[in-house]
Amino acid sequence: MASLKRWLAVGLTACFVLALAYLPPRGAESSGKSPFVGQPLWGTPARQHAQALADEWRKVDAAVRLLEDRQRVTRDSLRASPTIVFRGATLPPKDVHNVETVMDSVWRDLGLGETKVRVTLVIELQRPYSSDTPTPLQDRVAYLAPDSTHRTTCLAYLPAGPYWTLFILGKRHEGFGRFAQWLEAGLGPCAFYAAYGTPGRSVESWLVARHWDVGLYLGSHGIAGERFSSLDLLGNPSSSWYYWDGVYSFPPATVACLAGRPSGCRAAVLAGAAEERTIPIPNVVLVERRWWRVQNLLPGERYLGDVARAVGRERFLNFWTTALSVDTALAGTLKRPVGEWTAEWQRGFVHPIRLGPTPPLGGVAIALAIAVLAVVLVSVTASRRQVR
Amino acid sequence: MSRLLGLVVAASLLASPLRSQDSLMVRLRRQADSLLGSWREAQTLADVADSLEQVRATAGSDTIAVRGLRIVVNPSPLPWRQAAELAWPVIDSFYGSAAEDLPRHPYIFRAVDPDSNVRRTVLHVGVELPWDLDVRASTNVLLTTVTAPSFDAALADWLGAALRPTLRPQDERAAVFMQLVTVPSAAVRGCFLGDIARCKDVLQVGDSTGLLERWYVTPAEREALVIESFEFLFARGATAPTLQSCRQHHDDACTALLQSLPPGTLPPPLGRSARILLVREALRAGGRDAYRRLVARPSAPIGERLASAAGMDIDSLVVRWRNDVRAARPKPLDLPWWAGFAAIGWTAFFGLCALRSSRWRL
Repeated sequence: MASLKRWLAVGLTACFVLALAYLPPRGAESSGKSPFVGQPLWGTPARQHAQALADEWRKVDAAVRLLEDRQRVTRDSLRASPTIVFRGATLPPKDVHNVETVMDSVWRDLGLGETKVRVTLVIELQRPYSSDTPTPLQDRVAYLAPDSTHRTTCLAYLPAGPYWTLFILGKRHEGFGRFAQWLEAGLGPCAFYAAYGTPGRSVESWLVARHWDVGLYLGSHGIAGERFSSLDLLGNPSSSWYYWDGVYSFPPATVACLAGRPSGCRAAVLAGAAEERTIPIPNVVLVERRWWRVQNLLPGERYLGDVARAVGRERFLNFWTTALSVDTALAGTLKRPVGEWTAEWQRGFVHPIRLGPTPPLGGVAIALAIAVLAVVLVSVTASRRQVR
Repeated sequence: MSRLLGLVVAASLLASPLRSQDSLMVRLRRQADSLLGSWREAQTLADVADSLEQVRATAGSDTIAVRGLRIVVNPSPLPWRQAAELAWPVIDSFYGSAAEDLPRHPYIFRAVDPDSNVRRTVLHVGVELPWDLDVRASTNVLLTTVTAPSFDAALADWLGAALRPTLRPQDERAAVFMQLVTVPSAAVRGCFLGDIARCKDVLQVGDSTGLLERWYVTPAEREALVIESFEFLFARGATAPTLQSCRQHHDDACTALLQSLPPGTLPPPLGRSARILLVREALRAGGRDAYRRLVARPSAPIGERLASAAGMDIDSLVVRWRNDVRAARPKPLDLPWWAGFAAIGWTAFFGLCALRSSRWRL
C-alpha cells in the first residue's frame, strides 16, 4: 500500500511538472513566433459565387472568340506553318514577320510541312480591360478542335501575358530561344491534329475525357525549356515535404506509376478510356490553369508525342485513327502491354520513387537494440521470479 | 427546272453546317450575355455582402483613431493606442503626403485567445491576432500590415515584396552591406567598389537586356550558379551532357543551360532588401511627395520612377544608396589592451590543467 502511494505521488508530481512546462501562465512573454494566427481569409460566399460566374463567362467568351476567329481568319496560302493572328494590339509588319519566322522554324522542327488540318494561332496580347466585364481568359490556353463544320482548321488561343507581350512588341529582347519554345508548347493538341489528322472516335473521346493531358506537347524537348517537364515542377526529392506533398496530391495510379509499377502506369494511361463520351460541339479544349497539378501521368504532356516517336508514324497513325478500344489499340501499337511500356518510359525521366516507410539504418539498429534489451530484461526478471 | 431545283437543294445542304455554326454562335453569345448579366448582379450583391460582412466583422468593435490610422478591433488587452502612436510617425515619414489616404484603408483586427482550440467563425474580413502581444509586437503588426497606398503590380514585381516602413532601417542597411561584401559576384563586388553601372545592373534599374551576363559576369559565377541552384533540374535527360560539360568548366554549356531557364527564374545576385533600401533612399531624398511621384506612373520603367520620386537622376540616387549602405559597415570589435593578455593567460591555464590531468600521464 505504501508502495502504491509512493508511485501515485511520483505520477502526480510528473503530471504537475509537465503541466508547468507546457501550459504557460497568462502574461507569459511572446514566443517570438509570427503574431498572425493562421486562418486564411476567405471571400464571402457572395463573392465566391460572383467569381464562379466570372469563370463560367470566361469559358463561354473564349469559345465565342474562337468560333468568331475561325470564321474570320483568312489563311495565308503561301505559308505552310500556322497562320498567326494578334489580338489586343496592331503590330507593325516587321514584328509580325519576326514572330512568323520563329513559328516557321518551330513548325519545321516538329517535322511538319503542308498539313491537311491547318492551324491558326491567335496570340492575345495583354491589354487593360474595362471593369464592367470580367477579365477575359488570360491565364489559360484554349484550343478549338476541328469539327463537322470546319474539318480542316484547328485554332489555338494563346494569351501572351506581360512577359511575351513586351517581347512581341519589341520592348524586351532577351529570351529568343524560350520564345520559340513557348510558341511550340502553345500549339498543344493542334500540333497533333496537324501531324496526324482527326483522331478516331475512341481516341478522341479518351483525350476529351482527360482534357488532352497526354497530348499537350508534340515536341521532343521539354514543354518549358530544353528538358523542363511537369515532373520538374514537383521540385527536388531532397526538399522532402514539398516534394512528397506534391507527389501525394496526385491520384493513386499516378503515384504508383511514379513508383515504377506497371499496373499503376496502365491505370494512369487508360484513365478516361473506358467511358464513351460524346464529343462536344464546339470541341473547345481548355487547358487547366495549373495543368501540371492535375495530370494522371507524369510527364503526361509529352506522352503521346513520345509514343509517336517510339513507334513511328505509320503505327502511330493506326492507333490514332483506330476503331478499337484505346487499350487494345495502344498495346497493339506499342507491341507491349501498356503498363510495362509506360513504366519504362517514365524511368527515362525519374528514378522510381520508393513508397512506404523508409526508416534510416541507424534508427532501425537503435530500435532493434532497445527491443532486444527489453526482451532480455523481461526474460531475466521472469527467470528470477519466485512464487512464495 | 429540275437542274435548278437540284442546285438549290445542293446549296442548302452545303450551307447547313454553316447555319448550324451560326446558331451555335448565337446560342453561345446569348449564354455569354446571360452569364455577364448574372455576373453583374452577383458583383453588386457581393459588394453589398462584403460591406455587410465588414459591418458584421466590426460589430461590437472599437475604432481607434490615431492621426491617419484607423484600427477597428474587438475588445482585448492589446495596447493598440500606444502601438499606433509609435507606428504613425514612421508610417507618415515613409509615405509622406500619400499617408493622407490611409484612413480609407482601416485595419481590421480580431484578437483571439492563442491557447484556445474553440472553433472560430470563418474569417472574411480582417486579420486574427493573439491577444497577448506587447506594445512592440503590436507596433510591428501595424507597420507590417499597413496598406501601401496605390501600390502597383509593376513595382511589387520588381521589389519582390510589399513596400512598408520599418522600425529598424539600420538593420536593413547592415544586411545589405553584408550582402555587398560577401556575395560571390563580380558585379556586386564592382558595385561595392564604386562602379555605379554595376550597381544599376544588380539592382535592375537600368537596361535589362542580357541580364545573365550582367548579373553573373564571370564564367566561374555562371558555373557555380548552375551547380548550386539548378543541378537537380539539368541532371537528367537531354541536358545531362551539357551539365557535365558545364561541370568541366565549359562556359558556353553553363550559359546555354541558364539561358534555357523559363523567364523570371534567374535569381538576382542581390537580395530584395537591397531594392527596398533603394526605394527608401528615393523616398527619403524626395521629400513628402516622393511616394506620390513614385506611384504616379505605373507603366514607366522602374529607374525613371525612382528618379522621379527622388527628384534626382538615377545615377545620383544609386550613389546615395551605395554611400548609405557603406556607412552601415558594422563596427569592428574594439578590444581593450588587456584582453589579448587575458585570452593568452586563460589558454595557458587550461593547457596546464590539461597537461596535469591523469589522462596525459598514463
